[in-house]
Amino acid sequence: MSESWDVIFREMLDGSISTVLNLLKVMVPLMILTEVLMTYNVVEKLAKKLEGLAGIMGMSRNAIFPLMVGVIMGVSYGAGTIMEINSRNNLSKKDMMLFGVFIFMCHGIIETGMLFGIAGASVIVVTLVRLLLAFVVTVIAARTRWIRNLEKQQQ
Amino acid sequence: MKEKYANFKAGIHSRLLVALMDGTLKGLKTAVMLLKIMIPVYLIVVLIKYSPVMPWLQDIFSPVMKIFNLPSEAVVAVVSGFFTDEYGVVAALSGFDFTMAEITTVAMINLTMHSIPVESAIARKIGLPAGKFFAFRVCMAVLVGIMIGWMGGVLL
Repeated sequence: MSESWDVIFREMLDGSISTVLNLLKVMVPLMILTEVLMTYNVVEKLAKKLEGLAGIMGMSRNAIFPLMVGVIMGVSYGAGTIMEINSRNNLSKKDMMLFGVFIFMCHGIIETGMLFGIAGASVIVVTLVRLLLAFVVTVIAARTRWIRNLEKQQQ
Repeated sequence: MKEKYANFKAGIHSRLLVALMDGTLKGLKTAVMLLKIMIPVYLIVVLIKYSPVMPWLQDIFSPVMKIFNLPSEAVVAVVSGFFTDEYGVVAALSGFDFTMAEITTVAMINLTMHSIPVESAIARKIGLPAGKFFAFRVCMAVLVGIMIGWMGGVLL
């Protein structure tokens, strides 16, 4: 060991305490915000406004709401919403793949923005730049051969 | 206990107040759940940092981390994130003294690619090809890491 055990234990104790405090600083406001967003159907309203972006991303308008849920609140919320929608009215294979591309590059921006903000990262980069990157990659992916072939298969 | 809380809630007519109460409770519960992983990850990372394994890890991974303009210690955080989740990354990051730019780069790499076991299961559950998305995320994590690693300073 490159330090005495005294120093190591001291650091472990201090670090654990600050980990607990920092996590509480993230989780409690985050969960309150999530509850408020759900109570007032904020994401649904936002998704209605952003449906116009569906065309550029090669998706149908129906895919925008589950995507927004996933991007804003987290991947498990998004997956839950998309399963619910699929049980009523199946989204196309192409919609699902593009949903996956976006969601697996960028999800839970509130959660991760707060978490990494407190951890000392740039909040603008981990939220806005990441969102922008995922959007651009999805727009490009929608125009690739693989994704367009999915559309042909279905027709 | 649960029943009492439900009864208590039924008496409150403000939706906002109920959201505040539910949110606080869920926040505390989730925090406890996450800490069960974060604290062990953090403790192991501190042990590794001072152990003889660290210089050896640094030697092996410093060329790889250079691609992302990161110091070699960052490998510990990046690898923790693949197997645990974003919270594991943060726990591991807090074991070292990194700059804001470095933390941002690690964050962006791990936000693109993390909790591979859990999220592959989610992909499969909604009918997406987990293997393809795994490969996609590895490629994207490398690209995003290089981009933010070398350009991140401009954005901060």
